Parts: sequence; C-alpha cells; structure tokens
Amino acid sequence: MSISINVAADKKSATIKIIGRFDFSLHNDFRKAYKDVTLSSGEYVVDLSSTEYLDSSALGMLLLLKEHADAQACKIRLTGFSDEIKEILTIASFDKIFIVG
Amino acid sequence: MAEGVKNILVVDDDLTNRLILCSLLKASGYKCIEAENGKEAVQAVEGNDIDIVLLDVMMPVMDGYEAAKIIKQSSSRFVPIIFLTAMTDEAALVKCIDSGGDDFLTKPYNHALLNSKINSLLRIAELYKNIEDQNKDITEKNFQVEQEMIVTMKLFKKVVNNDLRGEKTGLNYSMSPMSMFNGDLILAEKNQTSGLEILIADFTGHGLSAAIGALPVSDVFHSMTQKGFSFADTLVEANLKLMELLPTNMFMAGALVSVDRSNNVLSVVNAGLPDLYLLRNGSIVHTFKSKNIPFGISKFSAAQIEFEMQILEYGDRLIAATDGLMEANNPQGEMFGINRLLNVFKESTQEENLLGKILKECNGFCDGAEQTDDITLLEFCHLENVKYETDEVTQVEYKEPSDWSLQFNFDIKSLRQFDVLPYIMNAVNQLQPIESGCTTVKTVLTEMFSNALDHGILKLDSSMKNSPQGYMEFYQEKQKRLESMTDGHIQVSINHELNAEGGGTLTMHLMDSGEGYNFKDINTEKNKYSGRGMRLISSLCSDVRIMGKGNSIMAVYSWSKDDL
Repeated sequence: MSISINVAADKKSATIKIIGRFDFSLHNDFRKAYKDVTLSSGEYVVDLSSTEYLDSSALGMLLLLKEHADAQACKIRLTGFSDEIKEILTIASFDKIFIVG
Repeated sequence: MAEGVKNILVVDDDLTNRLILCSLLKASGYKCIEAENGKEAVQAVEGNDIDIVLLDVMMPVMDGYEAAKIIKQSSSRFVPIIFLTAMTDEAALVKCIDSGGDDFLTKPYNHALLNSKINSLLRIAELYKNIEDQNKDITEKNFQVEQEMIVTMKLFKKVVNNDLRGEKTGLNYSMSPMSMFNGDLILAEKNQTSGLEILIADFTGHGLSAAIGALPVSDVFHSMTQKGFSFADTLVEANLKLMELLPTNMFMAGALVSVDRSNNVLSVVNAGLPDLYLLRNGSIVHTFKSKNIPFGISKFSAAQIEFEMQILEYGDRLIAATDGLMEANNPQGEMFGINRLLNVFKESTQEENLLGKILKECNGFCDGAEQTDDITLLEFCHLENVKYETDEVTQVEYKEPSDWSLQFNFDIKSLRQFDVLPYIMNAVNQLQPIESGCTTVKTVLTEMFSNALDHGILKLDSSMKNSPQGYMEFYQEKQKRLESMTDGHIQVSINHELNAEGGGTLTMHLMDSGEGYNFKDINTEKNKYSGRGMRLISSLCSDVRIMGKGNSIMAVYSWSKDDL
C-alpha cells in the first residue's frame, strides 16, 4: 500500500496514485499527500489503476479531498478503476459529484 | 522519602553482616532497612516501600528460600531479590533462582559488583513499573470504551426500538448484535395510508460517531412521518441534519421504503445501498438500484430525489441488506456476493421464511470465518390483512374549545416545493386537539386538498387511477404538471366554533383557482381507484357542499368532549 502525488509543473493538475487497498489504513497518508498542494486552477486526478479495493472510508477520504479541491475551485477526476471499484462508486452515485473516467 | 532514594531491605541473621552491607549501601546513597530473618523480611516488604531485597539463605525462623517465595507471590509489583550466599555449589544457586530470586551474590561481597547488580535490577524494576502503569492506563481506557459502548447500545436500542416487527406486520429484520457499532440502522413508522415507511441505513464510521448521526435521523424520520410529511420531505430534512452534524468524510448510505396501502404502491429511494429486490412468487419483479448520493454529503431538494414506484400485490416481498451481506466472506476469502443471494431467491418457496433462509445460507457459506462487517437484512412482506400499531400512544388532552379561524394561501410555487398539509394539520392540532391524532380531520383535509390540487389545478383525469398501472402514470403525470405549471393557487380556510356539548364545529373550506369540475360525475363513479375521495368526505362530515363552479368545497365536522 502506498500513495504518491505528482504535481504538474504548471500547477494545473495533481495526480494522486493509490497502490493496493484504499481503506482506513491510508487515512493519514492520503491526507498528507494533498494537504500542502495548492493548484492555481484545474483538477486533482485520483489514479485508481493500481487500487485493488476501495471501502466506504475511502469514499469518505475522497469527500475530504473534494473539500480541499472545492476551496481551490478545482475539480476531481477519478480514473483507471476496475469494474469492482466502478460498482462501488456507482452505488454511492459518486459519478454525480466527481468526474469519473 | 525523597524521590530517587531507593529503599533496600537487608535480611541477615548476622548483625555484623548487616552492618557491613548497610554501610556499603549507605555510602552508595541507598537507604537501608534491616530484618533478622525471613519472616521479618516478608513483613517489611508488606509494610514498606521496598525497592530491592538482599536476602541471606540460611536463617532461623524462616529461611531465604521460603521468604523469597512468599514475597514474590504476595507482592503485586515487581520486587527484585538478590540472594546473598556463601554457598557456591550449583544446586544451591539454582534453588535461589527457582524460589524467586532474580540474582545472587556470593560472599565475601565485592562492592562494585553489588552496586552494579543493584543498579541493573533497579532498571528492570523501573521497566516493570512502566509496563504496569501502561497496563493500568489501558485497563482504565478499556473500561471507558466499554462504558461508552454501553451508552451507545442504550441510545441505539431507544432509536431502533419499535413494535412494528413481527409475522403479523410482514416486517422482519435481522441485525447482528454488534452491527449497531458498525452504524447500521433500521427504522419503521406507520404512514398516512396505514402502510409503512421503513428506513434501512448504514453509517460510515463506528460506535458513538455512528450513533451521533442515528439519533437525529431517527427523530426526523419518526416525527415527520407521524405528522404526515412525504418521504421526500423527510429525507431532505434528515439530509440537512446529517450535513450539519457529520464530518466531511462521514455519510449515511440508506434506502427509504414507502408502502402506500391505499393504492398498493411501493416507492423506494435508494441512496448508496446495494440493490433492493421486489419478489413475487419467488422471482424478481424489480431491482431497486442506488440512484442517489448517500445522505449527509450534499444538499438536495425533494424534487431531486430519484425514486422508483412499483405496484404491490399481496404476498410480495421486498428484500434489503446493507453491504455486510454481499461482503460476508468465507475462510478462503471469497465474498457471498449477489449470485448466491439470487440463488437463494430462486430456490425459495412463497411460504418460506426467506430472511431466515438467506441468513442460514450466508452463515453456511462463511463457515465461521471472521467477518469485517456486520450483516443487517430486512424483509417486508405485503400482507392483505394487517394493522400497524406503533408504540406511540397519542393522548389527547382536552383543551377548552375556543373560536378561531385560520386562512392559508398557497401559490403554485409553494405547492411545488413542499407538502403543505402537515403544516395545516400541525396548526389545527396546536389550536384545538380534536381527536386522537386528528385522524378524521386529517383524512378529510387530505382528500379535499388532493381533489383541489390534482383535479382543480393540475386537471388530472381521475379515471387514470382506474388501474394499478394507471395510478403510477397518474403520479408521474402529476409531478410533470406540477413542475411545468406557472399559475394556480389554493386557499384553505378553517373555522372553529364551540358548541353546546363542550365540543366544537370545524368548518373546512377549500377553493382552488381551477375551472371546477362536475362533481356529480365523480360521485357516481363506482370504481376502486377514484371518486372514493368524495364519498369518504361525505361519510365523515355532517355537511358537505360543493360551491361555485365546482372549484370550492366546504365540509363541516363536529366533535364533542366525549370523542377525545
């Protein structure tokens, strides 16, 4: 399990990649990853291509990231997820509050 | 005693030996306490704050071995013991350690060696003490957590407690004992149609943090449903409360199931729960998928709630579960999943206790594997003959009748935005509690109001409601027209006058901006789904008059003190 963040040179996008299980154990690391990042505009990308599993506390963490992004008038895009994760996102209707795909 | 000065108990029957040892120890900054034999030593350890014991082996009354055993057994803390012995044979030294000694020193004493052994054992004692303190801390914290759990359990029991569950009501559910701490919640309340409103929900978070959200949701759910608010209004309010209370990362996934017994229609709002299934004769008639964002995340209006309606037949079953069921895993780490659930449906017969069967299958599948989430499962069966009794007893207090009148005006915007009837009922109830729950007045006003809105303003054809399918089309058309309508209003006047019998006469008058309708036609319609509104009003009221061009109706209801 690990988290990496990559902020584009133009400060218009930041990509957070989650490897392994995205659950409560990542709570602090996930927060730490973005808390000092300020984008001038643009979007936060959450790369879920290496994420095996995502639980409801991960959904909660995404909502925290949304709060952070909203304050900077930025969008959030969730990408690269598996069908299983897509199902979880769909049940929670997260496609209505995040850009998905 | 000053902090840091250690007390050392010197036990020897020989005075000279004690004197030598004590002078050595005092020179190193320790305080000495002396004992002449094992028995005295045991007493000294009991009565003093002894940090370390230097113990001779051969002594009268009680020897060192015996004393060491007693000291080690009776002391709740770690008291290091160093045996002082002239013996050098292995067996004797082993016996020292076996009887509870931590180290030994052979005579004659080497000052430096004695000091370093004492220092080493004092360090170990310090470690022991730290661990003991931490253990004490943990025990206290555990106790606090347990107390919190008991409080939470009590709160939750209050919240979820209702008597609507049972074979006779068709409502049955199972919540594993610890599921409360995983934030699972089931609420049920009788609604205006003598049917039920059921909420099954799952909070993110555990224990108290989940209970914090459950309390206001339960409050809003019960009180608004009792007052006659629609499930949409109830959910909007519950959502607002949760947004206020819950931290950003917490939310409530849930489904509201509304059973309309007047029309035999089931409405389901699914916001973040796994699929709900409507079963008829063992096969799935409809799957209610989640179409809404869970509660406590973002604001929404009643019109934004996506819900699905289905016609109910007697014997139909609705099955709902929180994600614990689907995610229940077996020792191999596989999940129970949808397919296994669907198989249970396939293999079940109409008469079977489906809930029990699902739980049994799931338990068999899990085969004792430890579960990460708890299982909450609900089954609702639509029964033909059922009367729901809530534990809520509405006692009406007699209030001296008085003369008053109220007038409400609602334009199309307010009609679109909210259910206005509960507000009217609330006002009437506050001014003059007429009968238990104001049931009759509520029924009359509800019928008058829906006539005015549905037919008067929205010009909906009540014959649409002739078939069950038509009823749903009627409902959809109503929503559509409400959204697009730009004009229209309803005026409600209610007048109360006291009468001679110690009661009063309530005159309800509704006028809508519509073109009126031919009430004679409606009155003669003899079908199940329409026209019964007028018949109902006539049967409940002493006087009913339709006035104007048919856009105005007045009904009179009299009550006496005995009705209370």
